Amino acid sequence: MKLTVCIGSACHLKGSRQIVEQLQKLIAENGLEEKVELIGTFCLGTCQTGVSVKLDETLYSLNPEDIKSFFEKEVLAKL
Amino acid sequence: MNDLCTDIGFNSLNKYGEELCGDHVEVVEQGENSMVIVLADGLGSGVKASILSTLTSKIISTMMAADMSIEDCVSTIALTLPVCSVRQVAYSTFTIIHIVDGTEAEIIQYDNPEVIMLRNGESVDYPTEVVDIAGKKISKSKVHIQEGDIFIALSDGAPHAGIGVTLNLGWQRENIIDYMKTFCHVGFTAKTLTTMLLQECNKLYGGEPGDDTTVCTVKIRKREPMNLVIGPPSNPNDCGKMMSLFFSKEGKHIVCGGTTSNIAAEFLDKPLRTKLEYHDKDIPPTAEIEGVDLVTEGVITINRVLTYAQDYLRNNETYKQWSYKKDGASLIARLLFEEATDINFFVGMAVNPAHQNPNLPINFSIKMRLVDQLADCLRKMGKKIKVSYF
Repeated sequence: MKLTVCIGSACHLKGSRQIVEQLQKLIAENGLEEKVELIGTFCLGTCQTGVSVKLDETLYSLNPEDIKSFFEKEVLAKL
Repeated sequence: MNDLCTDIGFNSLNKYGEELCGDHVEVVEQGENSMVIVLADGLGSGVKASILSTLTSKIISTMMAADMSIEDCVSTIALTLPVCSVRQVAYSTFTIIHIVDGTEAEIIQYDNPEVIMLRNGESVDYPTEVVDIAGKKISKSKVHIQEGDIFIALSDGAPHAGIGVTLNLGWQRENIIDYMKTFCHVGFTAKTLTTMLLQECNKLYGGEPGDDTTVCTVKIRKREPMNLVIGPPSNPNDCGKMMSLFFSKEGKHIVCGGTTSNIAAEFLDKPLRTKLEYHDKDIPPTAEIEGVDLVTEGVITINRVLTYAQDYLRNNETYKQWSYKKDGASLIARLLFEEATDINFFVGMAVNPAHQNPNLPINFSIKMRLVDQLADCLRKMGKKIKVSYF
């Protein structure tokens, strides 16, 4: 599974770093380093809506506060 | 004419308690590859000294750059300088370093500490000839310059540092040479070398300089072109044109901006690999494209580079950060401030709709202003700058 986080200007200002850090932590806590690949990307083209995060090919717009529930609902559920 | 150029850095410590510095450095460019650098130290301190040294350095640099003889310069100064009512003399000592055509340094000195010349890490005793001009004993020297040569001009506040405070006799010329020798291999810029020497002087003075102290370092180096592209072109059809012009330039290539790096990656037909390491919590991570020397995010990173540039021109405090850190802004700062001598900016004028959100501090006009201000700062660092808009 591939998790791609946009770290472009707009997303950076909306909290990419917190999201990356939280995801890194969550992945480590759940021992998913082998299963989930976390990568960064520049602009995904949806700057207006918030931090763009792609789970495989599905695009989500997330806030740092949403990450925990996103991880449980989307990532863990689909593994 | 060759590919050598000068990297010049100077700064001063004011005498403790004085608001003005009585030393003054003036740099005048003379055509493509020649430079006149004058360091003047006015008699006394404070405003009187400041006026004397400013006049002296301005007059000499302007006249020298206009190809007038040293004799004319000195007699003009003797006739022009206001006479000190206390001491009944008009007096300012000076050092002139005249770089001629990138091949020769002419050093003319009057009563300032002798210019230090370092080559391959060793001090060079260049030959001098003393001439009498208008009753003043003026020493003249000519040396052929080569890459890596470092000239250090000082006001007497430097060798006097620490007299009676930490050292009995102050800091002798030999001590300064020994101190500077240890740094000259590292590749520091003239400005950094200057800052290090001044900091040491300040330390010896116990933080309270007993005299105005000025250091001006001139480093002979090779021209190093550098190219930076930021922002997609206003007309999307110009992407290819912009990129082919950018990548055809000699020297290193820096790509700034998310969309811009996608365009560059597409143009080069190479993958764009973004990293996820935050070396600085406020600066987005960098990326890699084969064939590009550095790929970073745009506005936020450049904004930080501008902060570093502005500080570099003042007291260079943030050198402690950007000189070693691995975030995008520090990497760009090192490339632009330390490595580059000639910088081409390729600025795309496309408006990113996401940046027009009033809640974000990165709108279009801010981006344009950032580039303008950065180019300005780099010019003040003595770099040749060209900005092209697309």
